[in-house]
Amino acid sequence: MGLVLLGVSVLTFFIAHVVPADPVLVALGEHAREDQIQAYRHAYGLDRPVGVQYLIYVHRLLAGDFGISIRTRRPVAEDLGEFLPATVELGGTAWLVALLLGIPAGILSALYKDRIFDHLSRIGSLIGASMPVFWLGLLLLGSFYYRLRWLPGPGRLDISAIPPPLRTGLLLIDSALAGDGAVFWSALRHLVLPALTLGLFSTAVIARMTRSAMLEVLYQDYIRTARAKGLARARIVLRHALRNAMIPTLTIVGISFGNLLSGAVLTETVFAWPGLGRYATTSAISLDFPAVMGVTIVAAVIYTTINLAIDLLYARLDPRVRYE
Amino acid sequence: MLGAVIVLLYALAALAAPLLAPHPPLTQYLEERLAPPSAQFPLGLDQLGRDIFSRLLFGARLSLMVGLVVVVIAGVLGTVVGMAAGFAGGRVDHALMRVTDIFFAFPSLILAMAIAAALGPSLTNAMIAIAMVTWPVYARLSRAQTLVLVRQEFLEAARAVGAGDLHILARHVLPNALSPLVVQASFNMGDAILIAAGLSFIGFGAHPPTPEWGVMVSEGRDYITTQWWVPTFPGLAILMAVTGFNLLGDGIRDMLDPRLRRAG
Amino acid sequence: MRIRIAVVVMLVGVLFAPQTPSRAATASDTLVYVNDISDMISLDPAVVYEFSGVLVAQNVYDTLVTFEGEDLTTIKPRLAQSWTIRDAGLTWKVTFKLRPGVKFSTGRPVTAKAVAFSFDRVIALNKSPAFLFKEVAGLNEGDTIPVGDDTVVVSLPKTASPLAFLNILTFSVGGIVDPEEAMAHQSGADRGEAWLRNHSAGAGPYVLERWDPQSRAVLVANPNYWGPKPRLSRVIIQHVPETSTQKFMLETGDADIAADLTPEQAQDLTSKADVKLQDGKLLQLVYVGMNVKQPPLDNVKVREAIRWSIDYDGIIRSLLRGGARKVQTIVPEGLFGFNSSAPFQQDIAKAKALLAEAGLAGGFAVEMLVPTGPAPGGPKWSDIAAKIQSDLAKAGIKVDIKETVQAQLLGVYRAQKGQMVMILWGPDFPDPDGNATPFSDYAAHSIAWRNQYNDTAAATLAKQAALEPDLTKRRTLYKQLTDKVLHEGPYIVLYQPTKRFGLRQNVQGFVWNPMAYTEFRTVSK
Repeated sequence: MGLVLLGVSVLTFFIAHVVPADPVLVALGEHAREDQIQAYRHAYGLDRPVGVQYLIYVHRLLAGDFGISIRTRRPVAEDLGEFLPATVELGGTAWLVALLLGIPAGILSALYKDRIFDHLSRIGSLIGASMPVFWLGLLLLGSFYYRLRWLPGPGRLDISAIPPPLRTGLLLIDSALAGDGAVFWSALRHLVLPALTLGLFSTAVIARMTRSAMLEVLYQDYIRTARAKGLARARIVLRHALRNAMIPTLTIVGISFGNLLSGAVLTETVFAWPGLGRYATTSAISLDFPAVMGVTIVAAVIYTTINLAIDLLYARLDPRVRYE
Repeated sequence: MLGAVIVLLYALAALAAPLLAPHPPLTQYLEERLAPPSAQFPLGLDQLGRDIFSRLLFGARLSLMVGLVVVVIAGVLGTVVGMAAGFAGGRVDHALMRVTDIFFAFPSLILAMAIAAALGPSLTNAMIAIAMVTWPVYARLSRAQTLVLVRQEFLEAARAVGAGDLHILARHVLPNALSPLVVQASFNMGDAILIAAGLSFIGFGAHPPTPEWGVMVSEGRDYITTQWWVPTFPGLAILMAVTGFNLLGDGIRDMLDPRLRRAG
Repeated sequence: MRIRIAVVVMLVGVLFAPQTPSRAATASDTLVYVNDISDMISLDPAVVYEFSGVLVAQNVYDTLVTFEGEDLTTIKPRLAQSWTIRDAGLTWKVTFKLRPGVKFSTGRPVTAKAVAFSFDRVIALNKSPAFLFKEVAGLNEGDTIPVGDDTVVVSLPKTASPLAFLNILTFSVGGIVDPEEAMAHQSGADRGEAWLRNHSAGAGPYVLERWDPQSRAVLVANPNYWGPKPRLSRVIIQHVPETSTQKFMLETGDADIAADLTPEQAQDLTSKADVKLQDGKLLQLVYVGMNVKQPPLDNVKVREAIRWSIDYDGIIRSLLRGGARKVQTIVPEGLFGFNSSAPFQQDIAKAKALLAEAGLAGGFAVEMLVPTGPAPGGPKWSDIAAKIQSDLAKAGIKVDIKETVQAQLLGVYRAQKGQMVMILWGPDFPDPDGNATPFSDYAAHSIAWRNQYNDTAAATLAKQAALEPDLTKRRTLYKQLTDKVLHEGPYIVLYQPTKRFGLRQNVQGFVWNPMAYTEFRTVSK
């Protein structure tokens, strides 16, 4: 994994330095004088050869220093820390939604194969896996906020709601810790639409995979044997089939997490969610390459870690895999 | 087979766009901008008075082109790398797979965005970016297939007869490895269209006045409450196209793998 | 199964849960101002240069002098009660007498030392607005000398204009900061910059309570304010990037003022009973720059032909829904020296004739760089570009639009590599020279330079007009200059935008200062 991360840093750095335009101009604005520009370049080390810049970058990276954002003039690490919790909260909720809706849907779909539920579920999954996230978000916002006013609009909290004291940055947890029920509800209600939007794709994918994995398992001989022996169906399903069906599903769950990170970029744009996705977009537009590198690397690290965890879980569940 | 039908319809729409479109996609009927769907403008007019239906048809060309280019580049690149890795084995395999892992470590849109931002926002650069993000899947697939096939006896036989490595790869390995790759290609087309639309939506892909579907949704998002047809129909076009490719992929997979057919 | 039921119950419960009290019309002592504040990167007056940052800084830091309301010609006293300008031979000496009894929000008194500290700080930190002090006013650290507690003497070089200096001081860069508070939170040698990024220590009517980036900035009334208490004790500047959401929040009463409405949305609101519209003047000019060294744009007839091809009225009527003024000269309306001459309109025959005279009867192809996102006045840059593209096509000129992110566009433009570039310009201080010199003087390394427009006569006129003390003479000079550039220069000025605000009916006293900010203390509900 270390080698992969090293490669990640090289690739990201390489991409960021292919940039044709000069981000220093954007940072300093129209009226920047030549001496200001030079001072800036020197301060950011932009006047050193690329190879040296890379080494300095990695050296700092290992110490947790992602450099200074050209746009906000703050350490990128601080920016990342500021916006990460919002994305974690959104992504985490979306993931939960995907698991809570997707897995049961897949299981039921397999159990009641070819019945109405199965057909509806399969169509739903197909559409869910084909839907552009930003369009869905726009539609949900348009109907549930604008038309019906059932749910609140963009942002994490109602306007006059005062955020709870900062502990984790996750509003649900912080407000719970502070005992602030009103803010908790506000945060929860603001999470509904973006989490559904972000989670739909993963729900669909997980449902599909769970279904086919379950079907794969249900037809196997030992299950038939168990049935023949007369064990209660539910027990069979829950004990044996599920356990084995979870293995391929787990892989998909891990991969879908990457989709959550990608989708967050689009979802956060539509719902004005102050998270990493928006930060990535604003930074990319401003050609703020320390920030772009920071976000990209963080995203890659999170994704890789999750998949590593999945791999380990995999090994636990399926003893056959352990020796690979 | 519904998938094939949908895809075919889209292909036809794309190819015949100039014939089918009632209005040129860039012409502005400024005085009637934002007009609702009517007989003259079947899906309404956008904020610059351009016919949405005509723009959708021309957008189909762009989307299909994006999908094809991405699939061809990523597919060829990925397959070559994968086959080389599977065939050569050992250190080469290990090294190539590490490279693939590195690309796999990035969530697709984020990497694509970084590449597109670096190269400059344009549809061409978006295609390159998406291809860079999707080739690893082909590499993994073709490698897996190659590994399986390499052990098969008919390859031994071919070698015994004196066939060269490249010959073996091209004539024997590739055709047998093709089926999962084709399935992947179909899904990939849908994915590419989604990512391209997403990139265009945030401003890193095609840009106005190009009638690309993602751009159209982005341009129209301000009107979602009042003139809902402006962002809704382009999004619907994306949804239907991708659904078509996903169905197609499902169908091909079911056709090619009888074992899966029973379970799926 | 049970899990799913639980989820459904939770979702239903969330939908019908008791709403937080803020959902109704906003509280009577709070103003909710919705805006796109994604450009806010710091609220330190010595650093801030972005629109939304300036908006906050102007309400939190009082300056020595100010402009009130929309009037940009009369300088009014604020923290300085009076001032004198004396010619001291080699320099100008501007002496300010401070108002007595004024305190910062921290409770400490505003002294001459604080003024010196604040000015020196701007120069030392050398951030975006510093050039206003350094280059335009020629100020250095130490040129601002406190005399006693209530008098400040500033020395300006003779090459600078004291009037321009006073103009600059009305801007957020001239905000007075509490030195003790800033230094108490100093980190390294930053004179409190890191802390002042999201905290305030000024003498303005409001105090910065909090700033959540990309989310909101909250201002509360300053208990130690020297002037009349602001009518609304709390101002929430909420980040709402989608204009349709802004409009919606305004309609439902979730917002009191919406600042970024498109022309369509503004028009749609005219029929709503509890919402009203208000115009705000802007000093910006939207223009297309032509690179005069790139053929065929080097031929003045070709440039004129392009000027005659564009449907200016159409742009203002259809794309801006009337939310702009047709201006074709380089000094905007509202500033001294404005020239209302606007002779160009769409005349394709004339354009073609001019092209024929230039030997290009068959037309030609040219590339136009266009920024991404919305242009001033509401419509997208790309929409305006598309209109111009279709206008010029009628004269046989094929325009290839290249939508480019601001950062890259500026880079290409500054490198003199653009052919045609569509962009906007806003002066940094309300003096006509803020436009005249950049547009006319090649040596200023600004707009003229970027379009390779090197005309010594124009440059000389600009310099003369800048320093001319006699107002009648000055007016004549600016007329000469603007007329000259109108016909010979490389600029096609398209329009001067008006900002359209949507307000709830009960909001009174809102005035927009054309330098792009407002003073919330005058607003009531």
